Amino acid sequence: MPIIVYRFLVLGITALAVLAPIALVVYQSFLTAPFFDRAARLSLSAYSFVFAEEDFWQALWTTAAIAGGMAAIAVPLGALLAFLMVRTDVPGRQYLEPLILIPIFVSAVVIAFGYVVAVGPVGIFSTLAKDVLGFVPWNLYSLFSLIAIAGLTHVPHVYLYSAAALRGLGTDLEEAARVSGANPLQVALNVSLPMIGPAILFAGVLVFFLGFELFGLPLVLGDPQDVLVLSTYLFKLTNKLGVPSYQLMAVAVVVIIAITAPLVFMQRLLLRQAQRYVSVRGKGLKTQALRLGPWRWVAFGTIVFWLFITVVVPLTGITLRSFVVSWGQGVNLLDVLTFDHYRELLDYPNVVRGIVNTLGIGVIGGAVSVACYTAIALAVHRWNSGWTRLVDYLVMVPRAMPGLVAGLALLWVFLFVAFLSPLRSTMVSIWLAYSIVWLAYGMRLVSGTLLQVGPELEEAARVSGAGDLRVKRDVTVPLIKYGMLASWLLVFLIFVREYSTGIYLLGPGTEVIGSLLVSLWGTGAIDLVSALSVVNVMMIGVGLAVAVRLGVRLHG
Amino acid sequence: MADLKVKDLRLRLGDNEILKGVSLDVTPGQVVALLGPSGSGKTTLLRAIAGLEMPHAGSIAIGDNVFYDAGRGIELPAEKRGLGLVFQSYALWPHRNVFDNVAYGLKLRGTSTLEIKGRVDKTLAQIGLGALAERFPHQLSGGQQQRVAIARALVYEPPVILLDEPLSNLDAKLREEARAWLRTLIVTLGLSAIHVTHDQVEAMAIADQVVLLDAGTVAQVGPPTELYNKPATLFAAEFMGSNNRLDGTLVEVNGASATMQVFGERITGQAHTKAAPGAKTVGIIRLERVRCATAPGPNRLKMQLKAPMYLGERWELVFAREQLTVRAYAAAPLEPGEHYVEFPADALWVF
Ligand SMILES: Nc1ncnc2c1ncn2[C@@H]1O[C@H](COP(=O)(O)OP(=O)(O)O)[C@@H](O)[C@H]1O
Ligand SMILES: [Mg+2]
Repeated sequence: MPIIVYRFLVLGITALAVLAPIALVVYQSFLTAPFFDRAARLSLSAYSFVFAEEDFWQALWTTAAIAGGMAAIAVPLGALLAFLMVRTDVPGRQYLEPLILIPIFVSAVVIAFGYVVAVGPVGIFSTLAKDVLGFVPWNLYSLFSLIAIAGLTHVPHVYLYSAAALRGLGTDLEEAARVSGANPLQVALNVSLPMIGPAILFAGVLVFFLGFELFGLPLVLGDPQDVLVLSTYLFKLTNKLGVPSYQLMAVAVVVIIAITAPLVFMQRLLLRQAQRYVSVRGKGLKTQALRLGPWRWVAFGTIVFWLFITVVVPLTGITLRSFVVSWGQGVNLLDVLTFDHYRELLDYPNVVRGIVNTLGIGVIGGAVSVACYTAIALAVHRWNSGWTRLVDYLVMVPRAMPGLVAGLALLWVFLFVAFLSPLRSTMVSIWLAYSIVWLAYGMRLVSGTLLQVGPELEEAARVSGAGDLRVKRDVTVPLIKYGMLASWLLVFLIFVREYSTGIYLLGPGTEVIGSLLVSLWGTGAIDLVSALSVVNVMMIGVGLAVAVRLGVRLHG
Repeated sequence: MADLKVKDLRLRLGDNEILKGVSLDVTPGQVVALLGPSGSGKTTLLRAIAGLEMPHAGSIAIGDNVFYDAGRGIELPAEKRGLGLVFQSYALWPHRNVFDNVAYGLKLRGTSTLEIKGRVDKTLAQIGLGALAERFPHQLSGGQQQRVAIARALVYEPPVILLDEPLSNLDAKLREEARAWLRTLIVTLGLSAIHVTHDQVEAMAIADQVVLLDAGTVAQVGPPTELYNKPATLFAAEFMGSNNRLDGTLVEVNGASATMQVFGERITGQAHTKAAPGAKTVGIIRLERVRCATAPGPNRLKMQLKAPMYLGERWELVFAREQLTVRAYAAAPLEPGEHYVEFPADALWVF
């Protein structure tokens, strides 16, 4: 097969997989009824209906407020955290680093459940506080708490980009400031952080964008007080009119994409700018840690406190809850200890299937996805053509689709295309949805490793007589094997964690832990939810341990 | 076997024209050195011949086997040209051991396993790496890697082997040994080769023909002795050897000889200029041709000797007079002070 055929074949398949779901959603949004309904007519009625809804506007403003508030919390904390970790002598930095990243890898619904059982009205910490103080000094179910939790759990995202930028920056300018008499805080605020401004700005837009994708936290924490964001509004629309109101959901999806797409585009521009900024100045010098003196313990305490709030509280909460029958005021935890919840998991065939499917989608599905991402990356690798830009943009498209939305769109594709329908109730549908949602992430991982392959190694093979495809098979792919393995691990972590993409595709045979958790939570089965959450966290923990052990960079 | 002929090759990278009409000829069994300062387009030319860069005009062919012809719209991909290329970075495949690195080209040609074994072993023995077949590239020294890269390029007996500064990554002493070794290897195997280098000594030592490249054009072609002793242009004269440069005014051109005026003295040399009398002119003379004298005479300048420098096998003397500095070699040091420096007429080129 000539390489050009391969290239356009891959390009075509990618375009189809990425664009078909969106096209279907947009088409649906202009219909009066579900697309399979013969009575469906083209009209703007769905738009007028949604735009006339107070709930919709309320959800829109709430989403914007949460996204903005989240960025306002995560950006300064993340940037400061990066400065402390990269530039100063805070104790135990090498142990803190992997802990800091935990909130990225644990599913947001699990964290949300954790908060509910830990610091909710009858949570373990709340009862403790009540025992000691006589009252509960916090209220989990408030917009403020939601924003605070969302902000604190997104600190690592800002941290990652800021830390990477700081590491690429020589320390001479900071040293000059120190010599001129600036204390460490002044160095951070006046020199280091302004110098990585573009990276911080990028991270800010990223977090704001993630605010619009937020689903698990508002679903769990916003529900009791009827706080709706766009994604939960969409979720609640499912049966608004008694019949599946596809056209209304489609409008909500179109609105979400209309907001996220420009944000994705903006991130792309900002990231490029941030990278240029770093590469101009970056010297990769060996950095000398800034001595904080006694303040290092203050910094350490602050980081540990943040870790306590964002990691320890929810995770110990959910873990404890999974081992007790119940808790409340005056209950001695030792009396109520039990393994029953874990045993119960096995009583539900769908839960068992969910666990097996989750492992399957992580291990096998992850491998196949990485293979697909590699196939795409190889198609554009060393392709001197304008078509590669098209692929760049195609890959970005699913970024604008939050998992919930992508799952819904895929469901419709399976319903719409007759010959695909049999696949709908199999894990293939889940795999396809996951692969599309994480296309941009996976492509970044694989392209990153491809960048490391020196062009001369490939050229040497060509001169020796190997055709283009042969070069890829004999030289390029063997050289990126380790990178592909690392990508597989990271994709495994993400697929195992994923919860929103599978929600609309959930059915007998397509259960995964994430979507099961959401649906079980809706039924109030808190015992099962806690045990299943812990199982999920354990899977991720094992994956993370393997990754750290193998020296895989957790940041793609 | 026929000549490798490159004709009027033009190549653009981005907006820059890198090759501006380069022609060269490699006859079978010949080693051609492609010499030029850094950035003159040597690597680009080599890559274009190999099929890794795409020219926009000209032609490349070995006999009837046309690799590239802009006029006829022919462009043979690199893998179909059957040439051998040794990269400056060696570009050994890190995931294959020495044997498999060398064997790859044969494998692609569908050679039987048995024959591959025989030919790779033979080639490795020829380059003196027979014992290292199982090693991986990172387990080899720079010199060994270079040999593997050469073995990989010649194992399938290409009509021409292209070498891009193959010695530049070796340290100075090793480089001189490798130079002799490489020349012997190429000659005993009867190979044709294009050897890229920016080092004129290396080029002269290794090549039968030297092609001197200057900013994407061929400045001069010829055997090493001709390039060294009969430079066609000021660039060629200055690029080869170690030189003194005399700035002066042209007095007259008389057939093959030209006379220039420096510090009021008449200095005569070989005419390489057609300028009118009175024009600014430049005289070039190799260091080893400058002579020291004790008395005034034709083609001599009175100059001050600065401190002599001991180079081991000889002395280097530095003479100065106002802006002019002249360096020369001597078997024994002279006393600092006033001396007469002679520029023999047959060794001075006036441009
Ligand atoms: N990708 C490129 N785009 C534009 N110019 C290039 C590119 N690669 C090399 N050049 C330029 O081409 C010229 C010749 O390069 P090269 O052939 O590598 O020179 P040499 O090998 O003689 O040192 C240089 O001036 C270099 O800057
Ligand atoms: Mg070069």
